[in-house]
Amino acid sequence: MLSFSYSQEMEKSCTLLIHFDKGTPAIANEIKEALEGNDVSAKVDAMKKAIMLLLNGETLPQLFITIVRYVLPSEDHTVQKLLLLYLEIIEKTDAKGRVLPEMILICQNLRNNLQHPNEYIRGVTLRFLCRLNETEIIEPLIPSVLQNLEHRHPFIRRNAILAVMSIYKLPQGDQLLVDAPDMIEKVLSTEQDPSAKRNAFLMLFTCAQERATNYLLTHVDRVSEWGELLQMVVLELIRKVCRTNRGEKAKYIKIIIALLNSPSTAVIYECAGTLVSLSSAPSAIKAAANTYCQLLLSQSDNNVKLIVLDRLNELKSSHRDVMVDLIMDVLRALSSPNLDIQRKTLDIVLELITPRNINEVVLLLKKEVVKTQTGELEKNGEYRQMLIQAIHSCAIKFPEVASTVVHLLMDFLGDSNVASAIDVVVFVREIIETNPKLRVSIITRLLDTFYQIRAARVCSCALWIIGEYCLSLSEVESAIATIKQCLGDLPFYSASEEGEATDASKKTPQASSVIISSRRPAVLADGTYATQSAASETAVSPPTIVQGSLASGNLRSLLLTGDFFLGAVVACTLTKLVLRLEEVQPSKVEVNKATTQTLLILVSMLQLGQSHVLPHPIDNDSYDRIVLCMRLLCNTGDEIRKIWLQSCRQSFVKMLSEKQLRETEELKAKAQVSHAQPDDLIDFYHLKSRKGMSQLELEDEVQDDLKRATGEFVKDADDANKLNRILQLTGFSDPVYAEAYVTVHHYDIVLDVTVINRTKETLQNLCLELATMGDLKLVERPQNYTLAPESSKQIKANIKVSSTETGVIFGNIVYETSNVLERTVVVLNDIHIDIMDYISPAVCSDTAFRTMWAEFEWENKVAVNTVIDDEKEFLNHIIKSINMKCLTAPSALEGECGFLAANLYAKSVFGEDALVNLSIEKQADGKLSGYIRIRSKTQGIALSLGDKITLKQKGGS
Amino acid sequence: MVVLAASVLSKSGKVLVSRQFVDMTRIRIEGLLAAFPKLVGTGKQHTYVETENVRYVYQPIEALYLLLVTNKQSNILEDLETLRLLSKLVPEYCYSLDEEGICKTAFELIFAFDEVICLGHKENVTVAQVKQYCEMESHEEKLHKLVLQSKINETKDVMKRKASEIDKSKIDKNKGDKGGFMSVGSGRIESSFSDMSISSSGSGFGSGSGLGLTTDVDSFSTKSKGRQLSSATAPPKGLGMQLGKSQKTNQFLESLKAEGELIVEDMQPRAGQARVAAAAPTDPITLTAEEKLNVTLKRDGGISNFDVQGTLSLQILNQEDALIQVQIETGGNPGILFKTHPNMNKELFSNENILGLKDPNRPFPTGSAGDAAGVGLLKWRMQSADESMVPLTINCWPSVSGNETYVSIEYEASAMFDLRNVVIYVPLPALREAPNVRQIDGEWRYDSRNSVLEWSILLIDNSNRSGSMEFVVPPADSSVFFPISVRFSATSTYSDLKVVNIIPLRGGGAPPPKFSQRTNLITENYQVV
Repeated sequence: MLSFSYSQEMEKSCTLLIHFDKGTPAIANEIKEALEGNDVSAKVDAMKKAIMLLLNGETLPQLFITIVRYVLPSEDHTVQKLLLLYLEIIEKTDAKGRVLPEMILICQNLRNNLQHPNEYIRGVTLRFLCRLNETEIIEPLIPSVLQNLEHRHPFIRRNAILAVMSIYKLPQGDQLLVDAPDMIEKVLSTEQDPSAKRNAFLMLFTCAQERATNYLLTHVDRVSEWGELLQMVVLELIRKVCRTNRGEKAKYIKIIIALLNSPSTAVIYECAGTLVSLSSAPSAIKAAANTYCQLLLSQSDNNVKLIVLDRLNELKSSHRDVMVDLIMDVLRALSSPNLDIQRKTLDIVLELITPRNINEVVLLLKKEVVKTQTGELEKNGEYRQMLIQAIHSCAIKFPEVASTVVHLLMDFLGDSNVASAIDVVVFVREIIETNPKLRVSIITRLLDTFYQIRAARVCSCALWIIGEYCLSLSEVESAIATIKQCLGDLPFYSASEEGEATDASKKTPQASSVIISSRRPAVLADGTYATQSAASETAVSPPTIVQGSLASGNLRSLLLTGDFFLGAVVACTLTKLVLRLEEVQPSKVEVNKATTQTLLILVSMLQLGQSHVLPHPIDNDSYDRIVLCMRLLCNTGDEIRKIWLQSCRQSFVKMLSEKQLRETEELKAKAQVSHAQPDDLIDFYHLKSRKGMSQLELEDEVQDDLKRATGEFVKDADDANKLNRILQLTGFSDPVYAEAYVTVHHYDIVLDVTVINRTKETLQNLCLELATMGDLKLVERPQNYTLAPESSKQIKANIKVSSTETGVIFGNIVYETSNVLERTVVVLNDIHIDIMDYISPAVCSDTAFRTMWAEFEWENKVAVNTVIDDEKEFLNHIIKSINMKCLTAPSALEGECGFLAANLYAKSVFGEDALVNLSIEKQADGKLSGYIRIRSKTQGIALSLGDKITLKQKGGS
Repeated sequence: MVVLAASVLSKSGKVLVSRQFVDMTRIRIEGLLAAFPKLVGTGKQHTYVETENVRYVYQPIEALYLLLVTNKQSNILEDLETLRLLSKLVPEYCYSLDEEGICKTAFELIFAFDEVICLGHKENVTVAQVKQYCEMESHEEKLHKLVLQSKINETKDVMKRKASEIDKSKIDKNKGDKGGFMSVGSGRIESSFSDMSISSSGSGFGSGSGLGLTTDVDSFSTKSKGRQLSSATAPPKGLGMQLGKSQKTNQFLESLKAEGELIVEDMQPRAGQARVAAAAPTDPITLTAEEKLNVTLKRDGGISNFDVQGTLSLQILNQEDALIQVQIETGGNPGILFKTHPNMNKELFSNENILGLKDPNRPFPTGSAGDAAGVGLLKWRMQSADESMVPLTINCWPSVSGNETYVSIEYEASAMFDLRNVVIYVPLPALREAPNVRQIDGEWRYDSRNSVLEWSILLIDNSNRSGSMEFVVPPADSSVFFPISVRFSATSTYSDLKVVNIIPLRGGGAPPPKFSQRTNLITENYQVV
C-alpha cells in the first residue's frame, strides 16, 4: 500500500478506513456501468467499490453525476446507506473552501430521505447530517430535520436531536437554528426514550449549559431513576460546571451521592471520578476510594481492576492520608491471580505503609507468601518474588518488622525459583547489617538451612554472610562444620575413579555440550563481562562422577558441575572464618587444625579443577583466588587480617548507605518536582495559545484529553529549528528547484516541499514522486500540478513511520512542458530520516536490562576510535550524541582506574528497546580502546545506532 | 467518555475496517492503529493498552483484534460493555472471522458499528436491536407503499374510464354538431389533461423515483409542450379568423391555472411588451417605422429565406393636427420596394418623397393612444439571398463525447445593427436537471417546461459582435437542438427610412407640429433550421 497524501487532505477528517485489496482493482468505467444498470446488487457492489477507491485516494470526479442520476433515485435501503457513506467521504468543497455547486443536487435527495416513510432511512440520514460540516447543504434541510424531532419513532428522534446538536455546533450553526436550545428543552421535557433523552440532555449540555443545569436542578429528585446513559452525561455536566465555577459544587454533591448507589457499575465508577475532581474533602475522597475498592473486588474483569488501581494510584499520590486508612481494602486485590494486578496493588500499598498499619500489612503479606507454597499456580514463583520484594522494602522502612519476617523468608532460601531465593538472600544480607540484634538468630538459622540452598548465586551470597557475620567461637565453628558438611567427603574424586574418567568423559559428551552451549557472557552490575554457567544456576545435577557422595551436600554437587567461582567463594569464606577463629579461639591447636582442614579443602578444589574429570578446567581467576587464600592461611598478618575481616564489611556498609542516599535523593527530587517555582509563569486560560501547554491548561482536562487523543494538539515547533532542517533536493541549475523541510511527529513525518519552476515555460503534470526504503510508508498517491513560469508551489507529503530505523526517502520530480511531449525527470537528493528523532532516554532496572541483553538477537559491535582521551568524557560524549540514559550509577563511574564500563538504555516511540554497553580501557599511550555494543530486538535499531555511533564517536569537535 | 474509533485489525496489524466517531485526520488514525500491534503484549491477562494520549481496549477474536480507541478519561466499564456488544455483532455479520470475511462485510460492519456508537457515545442497544436497525424493515414504509399502489390502481381505472369516454366523444364530434365543438373540445382537453397529470405522477412514484415532484413536473411539461408552443406563437399570425383558436388556447390556459399550475407565459408577454413600449405616444404626431424580419437560416450555413417587411405608420392624437404631409428620406437601398397606401398621392411620393393624401383636404384618421397600430402610410419589402444582409448568424455544434453531448453555440452579428434584447432559444431534449453550462457570454435560463435553453444577450454592439456558449447535456441526437429561434430588436432599419419633416397643410406659416419618430427592427420569425 504505497500511497501519498498532500496538503488539502491533511486537515480533512477521516471517518472510515477499509482495507483495500490491490489484487482486484476496480475500474471507474465498470463502476459507472454497474451504477447505471438496474441490478440492485450490482449497484451495491459498485457503490462499495467506489467508496473503496475514494478511500484509497482516487478522486473519481466523473462518478458524481452518474451517482446523482442513477443512484439517488434508488429505492434500495443499502444503496441509500452506501450513498450516505459516499457523500460522507467525497470532497464537498473546492480549494477555497466553498461548497461545490453540484452539491446542491444532493439536497433534494437528502430532504426526501428525511421525509422517507422508512424510519431507518430517516435515522441514518439524520446521522449522516451529524457528520456534515457544510452549512450551505444543511440549510435547506433544516425544516425537515426539525420535523423529525417530533416523529413517533424514537430511533428517528434520537438521531434528529443529535443532528440538531451537530448543526448548532457548526461555526454559524447558532444562526441557522436560533431556537434550537428552546426546542430541545421542550423535547427533553416530554421525551421518554432513554437514548433520545440522553441525546437531548447532551445537546443542552454542549450548546446551552445553563438550560442543562436548570433542568438538572429542577429534576434533582428523580436523577437516580434516570437511565444509565443520561446519568453519565449528568456527571459529565457536573464536572464541567464545577470546573468553571467552583462555588456551585455544593448543589451537586447530593446528586453524586445519590448516584453512588446506582445499580450500574459504569455510573458508580464515573461518580467516584467526579467526586474526586470536585472535592478534596477527606470524606469525599474516602467515598470515592471506597467505591473504587468495591469495584476492585466486585469486578472480575482484569482490565477494570487495573484501571481502577490506576485511579487508586492517582488518589494515593494526591491524598495519601486518606488512602492510608484504606490500605487493607486495597490489599484484598491480591486475591486476583493476575500478576499485573498483584504488582500494581503491591506498588500502591508499599507507598501507603505507616507505622500503624505496617504490622497488619506484613501479616497479610506473610499469609500470602505462605499461600504461594501450597498453591499449584504456575505464576506462584514470580508472585512470591514480588511478595518478598515487598516485604523487603517494608523491612527496610520499618526495621522492627524484619524480625517477624526474616525467619519466615529464610525458608525460601532453598526455593527452586532462583530469583526469589536471591531476593531473600539479599534481603537477609541487608537485614543482618542494619539490624545487629537479629544477627545471632539469622546466622543460626542460616547455618541450619544452608544445606537446602540449591542455586550457586544464592550459595555464594549466603557464604559471604556466613563469612562476615559469624563472630562468636561457636558460630565460627559451626559455620566451618556446615561448609565442610556441604562439601562432603574429600577428595572430590578418587584416583580410582580417575581411571574411569576417560570412560566418564565418553559417557558425558552430550551433557558437556549442553553445558558449553549454555555458557554465555553476562554483564555484571558494573557493566563488565563475566562468564557464568547457566547450568549451575538451574541446579541441574550433571551425570555424577562421585556417585556415593552426592547426597552429602549442595556445595559439592555445584562444584562438580564446574562452578569454580563458587569454589573461590567457598575458599574465601573458609579463609575468613579461620582468620576469625584465630581471634576467638584461645586454643592454638584447634586453630591449626581448622587451618589444615581448610587447606586440604582448597587443595582438593584445585585438584578437581585441574583434573580431567570435569569438562572444563578451573578458570584462572578462581585458581588465583584459591591460591591466594592458601598463601594467606599459611602466612597470616595483621594487615591482611584487617583487609579480610573489616574492609570488606565496610564497603558493604558504604554500598548500603549509598543506596539509601540515592533513594532519598530520588524522593527529594520527586517532591521538588510537584512544587511550582516562585517565578513560574502564570497562564491565563483565555489567553492561551496552542503553544506551550502548561499548568492551568490542565483545568479543562477532559476536553484536552480528547483533543490530544484526536491529535489536535500539534507541537508548534520553533521556526528557527525548522529552518535548520531544510534539505535541498535539487540543484540550483535544475529546471525545477525543490527543497524540503522535514517535520517529525510521533508516528509520521511531514515533508513540506517547496517546488519552484525556474524556467520560462509552464510545467504541466508536475508530480512529486516519492519512494521509501526502510520502515517508512507513504500515504496516498501523488497529485499532478501545473506550475506557471517562475512560480512556486508548496507540496506536503506525509510519511508514516512504523519502527525506529534509519529510513531513506528517494524521489523525483516528473513534469511535461508544452512543446516537448515526453516527460522530464529530475532526480531528488535522498532524504535521510534520523533515528535520533525516535529515541528518548529511558530507565529500566538492571535485571530487566540483563534479561533483554540476553534475549535480544541483534548485536552491533563498534570498536572505539576516538580522539577523546578521558573515559568519562567519552562516555558523556556518547550519551549526548546518541541520546540515551546511563543506567550505571555515577558512583560506580567515579575514580580513575583506566577502565570504564557502563550500560546505556533508550526506548523508541514505538516501544522498542535499545541497549548499549560501553567498555573502554585507557591504553598505555593514553588513548582509549574498547568496544561499544548495541543490542536490540530488530536489526534496524542496532544498525542505525551503530552507524550513528561510528559517525559521532570521533568527537573532538 | 468518548470512543474515538472502532476498528477490526488482523493479528498481523493490518487495518481491515475502522470507523471513526469523532473528527480526526487520516494520518492520526492510521498512526494510532499502526502503533497498536506493537503495544499489544503477549501473555498479558488484560486487554487494554494505554499510551500517552489514548487507550486501546481490545478483544482478540480468532485471527483478529476488535479494537476500540478511546481517550484516557473514558469510562472503562462502559467501553468494555460496548466492546462486548461489538464482539457479539461481528460474528453476526461475518461468516468467517478472518481477513477475507471482514473485508467482504466491511460495510455491514460499519453500519452496525454506527448503530452502537453515536458521535462517540454509546447507545443503549442490544444485538437484536442493531440487527433490526440494520435490516431497516419498516412497517410504515410497507403501509405507505400499499397506499401508493392502491392509488395508482385507482387512477389507472379512472384513466381507462376517461379514455373510453374520450373515444366516445370523438365519435360524437365526428358526427358533427359544429356549434358544440368549442365547449366540448375544451372540456375534453381539460379533463384528459388532468387525468394525465395524475397518472404521470403516480407512475413517477411507482418507478421508484426519489424525486417524485420533479418527475411529475417533467412528464407534465412534455405533455403540455406542444400546446404551449402553439399558444405562444398563435397571436402574431394574424387576427380575425384566428380569434376562435386563440380563445380556445386561452381557455386551456385558464383551466391549467385553475388546476394550480404555474404557467410560464414569458414568450407572449414579452413580445407584447415590446409593442406596448413602442406605442405609447405622448407627442401629438407619432411616426413609427417598423421592419419585421422573417429569416430562416440553414444550420450548415446559407439562407433559405430572408424577408424584411416594413411599415411606416402614422398616429395622430388630435384632429387639429391631422391635415399634414410627411416628408421622408430613404436610405436608397435598391433592393427595397416601397408601396404606398392606396389613398396616398403616389406621384407626390415618387417625386418628392412626401407622403400626403390624394385629397389634400382630407385629414389623416386620428386615434387614441390605446390604438397601437396607427395608420399605415407606406409598406416596403426586401428579399435577399445575400448572406451579408443577415444581421445575426448562429452556429451550433453539438458533439457527442462519451455519454455526454457538448453543444457549442456561437453567434456573429453583422456590423449593420446594434441588436438589443437578443434571446436565442435552443430546444433541448427533455432533461431532469438544467443543462450544465460550461461557458457563456451573456446569461442563460432554462425553461424546463418547454425544454428550451434561453441565451440572452442584452446588447450586441461593436464590443461583442461575436460570442459563444457551451453546455453539456446527456447524450442526444444533434437534430434535437434545432430549430433555434432568435428574437431581438434594433433601432435602425434596412430601409434607413427617416421622417425629415412634417408639413402642415393648414395654417400657413405656423410652425410644424411636434412629432416623434420611432424606428424599430424586430424579428417576427428568425430561425435556424
